[in-house]
Amino acid sequence: MRYTVDHTTVYAYDDDVTDSVGIANVTPRELPHQHVETTQVRITPAPADQSTDVDFYGNTVTYFQVLQPHRRLEISATSVVDVTGPTWDETAFDQPWERARPLADTALPGAWRAADLAVASPLVEQTQEAYDFGAVSLTEGRGLVEAAEDLMHRVHAGFDYDDTATTVTSTIPEVFAARGGVCQDFAHLMLACLRAHGLAARYVSGYLATTPPPGKPRLVGADASHAWVEVWLPHLGADLNGAGSGQWLALDPTNDTRADDRYVSVAWGRDYADVPPAKGVIYTEATTSTLTVSVDVAPDQQE
Amino acid sequence: MTVLREYAEALGLRAATDQPDGRPDGRPDGRPDSRPYDEVVGPDGTLRPAWKPMAETALSITPATLSRIGHDVERFLADDGVTYLRPGARPQPWRLDPVPLVIDPTQWRTLEVGLVQRAELLNAMLVDLYGPQRLLADGIVPAAVVFGHRGFHRAVARPSNHDPRPLVLAATDLGRGPDGEWRVLADRTQAPSGIGYAMENRRVVSRVLPELHRDAGLHRMEPYFAALRSALLESAPGDQADPRVVVLSPGTHSETAYDQAFLASTLGFPLVQGADLTVRNGEVLMRGNGDRLERVDVILRRVDATWSDPLELRGDSRLGVAGLIEAVRRGTVRVVNGLGAGVLENPGLVPYLPAASEALLGEPLRLGSIATWWCGDPVQRAEVEQRLAGQDLVVRTLEGAIVEGTPEELLARIAADPYRFVGQEQITLSRAPTWAEGRGAVGRPLTLRTFSLRYGSAYRPLVGGLASVRADDSGLPPCSKDVWVLKESPEAADQGLADVLPMTHTRSVTVLVPRALEDMFWSGRYAERAEDLVRLVLATQALAEAPDRPAGPTRPQTSADVGVEVMRGALGRLVGHVHAEIDAELRSLLLDADRPGSAAQSLVALRRAFSGVRDQLSPDVWRIFTSADRAAQELWDNPHSLQIAESGAEMLHGILAMQGIVASMIRDEGYHSIRMGRFLERAMQLCQLLRATTTVRRGLEVDRAVLDAVLTSAESAVTHRRRYRGYVRTGGVLDLLIMDRDNPRSLAFCLHELRLHLDQLPGSTGSSRPERLLDDLIETVDRTEVAGLVAIGGVGRPNLEAFLDQVHAQLVRLAEAISDLHFTTGPAPRPLNALPAVHR
Repeated sequence: MRYTVDHTTVYAYDDDVTDSVGIANVTPRELPHQHVETTQVRITPAPADQSTDVDFYGNTVTYFQVLQPHRRLEISATSVVDVTGPTWDETAFDQPWERARPLADTALPGAWRAADLAVASPLVEQTQEAYDFGAVSLTEGRGLVEAAEDLMHRVHAGFDYDDTATTVTSTIPEVFAARGGVCQDFAHLMLACLRAHGLAARYVSGYLATTPPPGKPRLVGADASHAWVEVWLPHLGADLNGAGSGQWLALDPTNDTRADDRYVSVAWGRDYADVPPAKGVIYTEATTSTLTVSVDVAPDQQE
Repeated sequence: MTVLREYAEALGLRAATDQPDGRPDGRPDGRPDSRPYDEVVGPDGTLRPAWKPMAETALSITPATLSRIGHDVERFLADDGVTYLRPGARPQPWRLDPVPLVIDPTQWRTLEVGLVQRAELLNAMLVDLYGPQRLLADGIVPAAVVFGHRGFHRAVARPSNHDPRPLVLAATDLGRGPDGEWRVLADRTQAPSGIGYAMENRRVVSRVLPELHRDAGLHRMEPYFAALRSALLESAPGDQADPRVVVLSPGTHSETAYDQAFLASTLGFPLVQGADLTVRNGEVLMRGNGDRLERVDVILRRVDATWSDPLELRGDSRLGVAGLIEAVRRGTVRVVNGLGAGVLENPGLVPYLPAASEALLGEPLRLGSIATWWCGDPVQRAEVEQRLAGQDLVVRTLEGAIVEGTPEELLARIAADPYRFVGQEQITLSRAPTWAEGRGAVGRPLTLRTFSLRYGSAYRPLVGGLASVRADDSGLPPCSKDVWVLKESPEAADQGLADVLPMTHTRSVTVLVPRALEDMFWSGRYAERAEDLVRLVLATQALAEAPDRPAGPTRPQTSADVGVEVMRGALGRLVGHVHAEIDAELRSLLLDADRPGSAAQSLVALRRAFSGVRDQLSPDVWRIFTSADRAAQELWDNPHSLQIAESGAEMLHGILAMQGIVASMIRDEGYHSIRMGRFLERAMQLCQLLRATTTVRRGLEVDRAVLDAVLTSAESAVTHRRRYRGYVRTGGVLDLLIMDRDNPRSLAFCLHELRLHLDQLPGSTGSSRPERLLDDLIETVDRTEVAGLVAIGGVGRPNLEAFLDQVHAQLVRLAEAISDLHFTTGPAPRPLNALPAVHR
């Protein structure tokens, strides 16, 4: 599928902002199953300084600084992306999950890099509750993908989609207490359960097709930034020149499904804090600000 | 009997009694001798070789001498204002033991080689961990040790990161075990502190023990600071002819604020805080007065990396500079040490240092650490679990914090998250004689902090260091010691740095950041506030003690009594009432640091304001506090009411000494700010005083008593007496205190001085708001006539009352306007995402 993705974030303030320095993670990644045809980030008012860089996880990051006084800041990203949907080498699916733990088995090809995504991260605390919740799915000797997908089903079934239940800074205990949340919370929850058992998993930020391809249902979380997780599946054979450092299975607990050609990946990291669509520091006397986010992922009619 | 002989004999005696079995620090497992190594006395009871060159002098020191020296040390440190701040507490005086830790050149050479290699290794590890990560990919260091450590900053570890020398200044904490070998206890790479304290220690000890110091033949420390200065200048990116270096401090509440300010002023670089800097176009700029911005090339960072950039690291930090990491990435500024350096303060790395040394340097590690086991490794974890039962193991997190708990609790925590913890051997530290008043020399455990600087192409350890005497069972507080490394020959170059240029051309700090000006301004205000209050207390006390007041509870109320009440009313107007009884009230006004407006509180605030600009000040200013503290202490100790007058007068002398110090300051913006603060505060205080004392008529006798006291507290009694020949009338007093431009205590004088200094600030244009407000005020005063002010209406003087209220209100507006124009740098930064960015 070819999509034209428009992602616009607008901050409106009740007083002048004299200096705004920020970072945006809004440029889709180039991946084997995802080709970025064109992409552009526009900041309004025109920044005095704008640059792009590649971060620790290979995401494209936009840095900007607006120095003219403004009451409205717009971060707008437009990309044309071809997505085929990821494919996986399913021979790795059935290995017992216990053998996919990079901290326990450092000899696994690529384990050293995956270790980064198996340790605790700022927003994903590996609590006892997360361990216990995960343990129901991660039973002894169970196949890795079966166990991970069972966990995804249980998060989907056990937690309500409720955008009043949590905030952007909610912690794992708060999500457990609320028994509900949004895509970000479900992703964090799954990460906590998987990592508490030593598995490596990452937080993926991206988009869903607004209008689904024919025959596929409309997904929850379209019209907005979305988030899901990817679980590390170590390679079964030898690590040949690093090529066999494993694959990452994308699971979306919000929609209880594997990611396919309806998913556009933008950035990944340990958790939300590594890849928020926008963050920044502003200098202002303003007391209130309002945020408006709009996302449009339109399938290209020419295709 | 001299101190060291007695110490040596006691040691020998203990050794003898310990010999058969029960050693004091004995290990039950019968491992090798664990009796602590003594730094001064060898096993044969004689002095260690390092002490031999000074033996004669050292052995002749008597307890009486050392006692005197101990007091001298305290006084010198207090005079220099040397403090150490424990979180949440008031600044504590820095403690220094007069007996130095002496290390002989042979031992030092071995240590030095190890320190050089270690710094080289740590730098190479930093470059690797934030770059190719070969150590992790090859399994030389387990990835979880690094990725699981909170000091590993992914924002720094980008492909675009390029800093070949992220480690410029490293510190190493060492302990000497019973075998006499130094071992590393911890590496300090984030923002090592202590080199300023080390220098101060040397300065004090060389003054109190001049003969010993001369006999020893030491490496002077000054050339090392010159080398540090030159290393920082050379760290500047590109080919800067005259790079701008700043010392970034978390502020005066930092534990080691003294150390930071000392370093800044010794190196001649401005001491700044995060809010003094800003990023534009990927460059770091220092805010100057008005709209001036000056580019910064090198930042010596004393703020932990996590707090250094609210954009990419902790968003709630007020200590950092938003965009700093981006500026580093673009290579426009060098941060020293690099922002990623904290990852090395990680005990989990210790087991892997030997292998890392082989891999990165191709040589075996020379200087070992104390035994450390990382629990992420099953074999090492088993070792920790087994040793937990014993006494000689501590469990730490990867960040180095000690984890407390019973062995069972510790086991459970390790089991839940093994990679987060290490077990670390506790060694029996060496002991050194430490002076304790009344107890003689007590052998106490110590550690040694050394410093290694990247100078030219290699690391150079400071020949010397900072020794810390640890808390132990002696009941004595921890303290520090100077570290003496003897020269191998008298001709040897100090610090081995024959080539380093002396710091003759220390560039004077041209730009004062607005925050520094504000600190200066407030120091002027607090000093004046303290002075005026002490004068008022003294005048009130003198009136209360007046000889013509008959004693006894039933005596008739005299005019002096009413006068005292009026003066207390003036005090109450300034600082409120707490105690009914006059002595208690006056004492509280001088001593109670928790009471807003008290002299003690103003002095605390003055000290804080000075601390923010310590790098700008003569070290002499700290003596103000020494004498004021001493006077306060006497008043605490002596409940007699006469002591109020005596101690008050002494405090006053201390405060007045500040005037003299300010008088010899260079006439820059800082000087003008102090003077502005002073005269503004004086004018405000005067308005309050006159408002409380002169606007109501209370009869001739009372008025005279009150006016006398007012003149005294406004330091104008002598002038008045000369001019009016003792004839005290309200009109004359007001003329002298409001109108007289020749009287430095008058309102008119204050306003004209204020105008003079305000004029000198770069933000003053001739028509700025503060200038306009002040000009209005001057005109108002010029237009006013005393005859009109004293006019009587009812029991009071309504014109005078209105005039004083109006002037005071205008002064308050003026103070705000000055602060807005000259000291404010715009709104504080805050995170953009007050609201969620993920649509819900």
